[in-house]
Amino acid sequence: MDAPLLAVENLRTYFYSRAKRAFIRSVDGVSLGVMRGETLGIVGESGSGKSVTALSAAGLVTAGPGVISGRIDLQSNGSRRNLLDGLENYARVTEQDGRVMAVEKDERGWRRHSETLMAGVRGKEIAMIFQNPRSALNPYSTIGKQLVETIRLHTNFKGERQARERAIHWLERVRIDSPRLRFDNFPFGMSGGMCQRAMIAMALSAEPSLLIADEPTTGLDATIQSTIVDLLAQLKTETGITTLLISHDISVIQRLSDRIAVMYGGTVVETGRAAEVLAPEATARHPYTAALLASIPSAETIRRKSYLQAIEGEVLDTIEVPRGCRFYGRCNRVTEAIRGNCAGLEPPLGEVAPGHKVRCWLYPAAGKP
Amino acid sequence: MSRTILEVTDLRKDYRQRRGLVSMLTGQGRVIPAVDGVSFYLRENETVGLVGESGCGKTTIGRTVLRLTDASSGRIVFDGRDITNLSRAELRPLRREMQMIFQDLDAGLNPEMRVRDILREALTVHERPSEAEIAGRVRELLEQVSLKDSKLANFPSELSGGEKRRVGIARVLAVRPRLIVADEPTSALDISIQAQVVNLLRDLQKHLGLTYLFISHDLPVVELVSQKVAVMYLGRIVEMGLAENIAHQPRHPYTGILWASLADKQNTEVSLHARAGAPAERERPTWGVFDFEQPVNGCRFAPRCPLYQDKGRPAVCTDPASEPQLRDVGHGHVVACHFA
Amino acid sequence: MRRYVQTPGPIGQFSELSLRQRAGPLDLVYVAYGLLVVAVVVASYLLGAFGWLPHDPQAMDIGLINAAPFTSGHPLGTDFLGRDLQARLILGIQAYFLPGLLAITISVVGGSVLGILAGYRGGWFDTIITYFDNLLDSFPRLVLILLVIAAFKADIYYVMVVVGITGMPVIANLIAGKIAFLRQKSFIEAAHALGLPAHTVILKHILWLNCRALLVIQATLGMAEAILVETSLSYLGFGVQEPTPSWGNMVQAGANYFLQGNFWPSTAPALAILATILGFQLLGDGLNNLLEGKRRK
Repeated sequence: MDAPLLAVENLRTYFYSRAKRAFIRSVDGVSLGVMRGETLGIVGESGSGKSVTALSAAGLVTAGPGVISGRIDLQSNGSRRNLLDGLENYARVTEQDGRVMAVEKDERGWRRHSETLMAGVRGKEIAMIFQNPRSALNPYSTIGKQLVETIRLHTNFKGERQARERAIHWLERVRIDSPRLRFDNFPFGMSGGMCQRAMIAMALSAEPSLLIADEPTTGLDATIQSTIVDLLAQLKTETGITTLLISHDISVIQRLSDRIAVMYGGTVVETGRAAEVLAPEATARHPYTAALLASIPSAETIRRKSYLQAIEGEVLDTIEVPRGCRFYGRCNRVTEAIRGNCAGLEPPLGEVAPGHKVRCWLYPAAGKP
Repeated sequence: MSRTILEVTDLRKDYRQRRGLVSMLTGQGRVIPAVDGVSFYLRENETVGLVGESGCGKTTIGRTVLRLTDASSGRIVFDGRDITNLSRAELRPLRREMQMIFQDLDAGLNPEMRVRDILREALTVHERPSEAEIAGRVRELLEQVSLKDSKLANFPSELSGGEKRRVGIARVLAVRPRLIVADEPTSALDISIQAQVVNLLRDLQKHLGLTYLFISHDLPVVELVSQKVAVMYLGRIVEMGLAENIAHQPRHPYTGILWASLADKQNTEVSLHARAGAPAERERPTWGVFDFEQPVNGCRFAPRCPLYQDKGRPAVCTDPASEPQLRDVGHGHVVACHFA
Repeated sequence: MRRYVQTPGPIGQFSELSLRQRAGPLDLVYVAYGLLVVAVVVASYLLGAFGWLPHDPQAMDIGLINAAPFTSGHPLGTDFLGRDLQARLILGIQAYFLPGLLAITISVVGGSVLGILAGYRGGWFDTIITYFDNLLDSFPRLVLILLVIAAFKADIYYVMVVVGITGMPVIANLIAGKIAFLRQKSFIEAAHALGLPAHTVILKHILWLNCRALLVIQATLGMAEAILVETSLSYLGFGVQEPTPSWGNMVQAGANYFLQGNFWPSTAPALAILATILGFQLLGDGLNNLLEGKRRK
């Protein structure tokens, strides 16, 4: 088997939240691999750490006391590079009872080192599209200028005319109508969907090896969402771009992903082929994934006007991480046989079928990591 | 058949955009018709869903029927009484009968007040209950929205999203309303919490006999909670009927697109199926921004309408003299399309 | 290496912490010093108002002109007419106290009204008040004050009315901003929807619950402002007029003798001004940190 294009290993990203006056273990031991050409979808609720995982991979966690540890290996031009290499020398974390108590960090050194590591990676090897495209585009420059700038910076189309033609090509690729006219438009004159298309064109125009799409459809209208999802699906088949897709919307994830990872409370609780994990008849499944799927009204629920199966309780805040399973407090499938484990020991991510892993004591395979 | 609690006739709401001193003094400025002639009614203990894209005027309708903003024209009759032109003072006693759940979780939750004081204030707006009655009602409200006692001492900022929503609902229930306009009550919440809130709202309806005007862009939820659904497009209702008919036998092309886009996202097979059923495989029309300054010629959906394209751009669709009106196609299902 | 430590104790938002937990060590020093200054100022005002002074502040002693501090019975020395500096310093606060309060009252009340009209009513009011603010801002305050003095007379109360009025836009803007914030969270609309009358919304929810800290802070800063304005005017000869003492005219009168080596007649009131203004400013700053949680980096 090939080495994955992006391999995340035991990633931990901690933040200090000024509002909560505490450290948040936003990502807490995540291991993932994205194979060349595939789309890995990460699904989870707010605070699950899915977006922070993506931001960490793009080297965008540097501010203040944000701390990342672990490995993020990127396969580029035949060589592997660890995007977190040596960063641990710039920070030290003190923990106590599952709670981060203090962080010592050489901020300037960290930032400088991180910039060195990310040089030639961010924007070039890894491109990102965000939830709010309008704020990610420069409002004072036309779409065309911004595209040309990216193209000349990151690709071999260095000439002004060449880059311009290339930019128009990309605008066509993302199905913006009359691209030659849109070329001279400013972002504020364009609708949200159009801005997202421009953003996608911008990200792809650098011809990156990895595209990180962080909530690409959130905040757009339903009909626009579906056209953006369509576009992403088409571009995926056309360009075969490797994508790390982040969304809270299971339907988007389901439509676009080859494999998915379900995140809860800073960890991956289930991962596997999308069809397998989300299959309606799946037997081995993390209770959280099951509950998440059940809380969306299904055709059956709607027809019978029955109640939704809500997950009781509140989304885990990752300030104080419980000793046992992170989902234990809300789980409705705890049996007496495993209760002791659930409450006291964090289950490992165990393989229940080839390529399908679940972090739950319900599955005996999980006991044997 | 239960009686009508709210009846809205030909409601219009224009927003005037004024910039600078000159336009302010002359009273001129762009007029934006956010709601452009909308009529519907709600029966007691019923839920009507209002769906549409952002900017279509659905929130404005919610605010206008509660007289939180004034209607430009039209008639709003609440429980047999015309409230369109009531003054603020005259409206106040009516406020206890009709309430609103806002999209923003923080709405109504003063950041400097504890949950206890927020509920107490709501309980004492319209009545002068004794301390014992207040305590009893607070307990009852907490039970109704299943919130723990311990949360009473908290400030809103200490609550999670779901808890804020519950307090917001309790605050609204405190005045014992009959009609609640729920404006995107779940959109600010996590998926797992959304389901809790939807269940809660349905429970409350059952036990308290509430009537909901349920505004949302979340189609499955609207279909689940509503008996009737009205679909809005750019300030107008383009189709209205029983929820299952709207969802499964839409007559207006826009309704079809709305539901198809949902299925599209969810399931590739369904969408392929839907496309195969479509008359011709083609690029979808680009969905441009609607320009309010340009006069609407005929059907306002025509520029985006697949049916219009398929029919070879019939003149009737863009004829300024014949904007399609809602007409009954049977069983109280109304559609505003020449070809429905 | 920079060290970030989690605050021990409960995890929580700023507003739910007790004042002691909120305070940085420096804030407490600021506020303590500020409160001390306020106490001294109030005490001095009362002493002056009731005439409980160590000496007659107007009594001249020709034998003791510009006497050094600690000269018999004059702990701070005397001025160029041989008047007791300590007594005049204490009495000098009279020049600021009530006029300063007047200025604060005008700016707080006027600013609140304007802010509410602009933020709560919006529309027309907002536009007109913005123009009014810009108009006031475009005049240098001192020029405005001199105009008023020229038109009427050099009276500290007239001056303070101008100070009060020119202080209104700042407060109005802060309040309008706060209202805009609440409005953005549908707060005001929700209050109306519940059936709360407008006066409850404005007085209780907006002013009392959400703007009180801001108003206290602005009032504190306003006092410092009033003292500063009077001092500058005295230097131009338009402040409080002799023989009534004010710190400003004491500095001004004493300055003539500064270069002759008699520095204390001007230094003592100058230090008093410095200490007092510093006190009010630090109090404002400390309160800002404690009540509003705005800590400058």
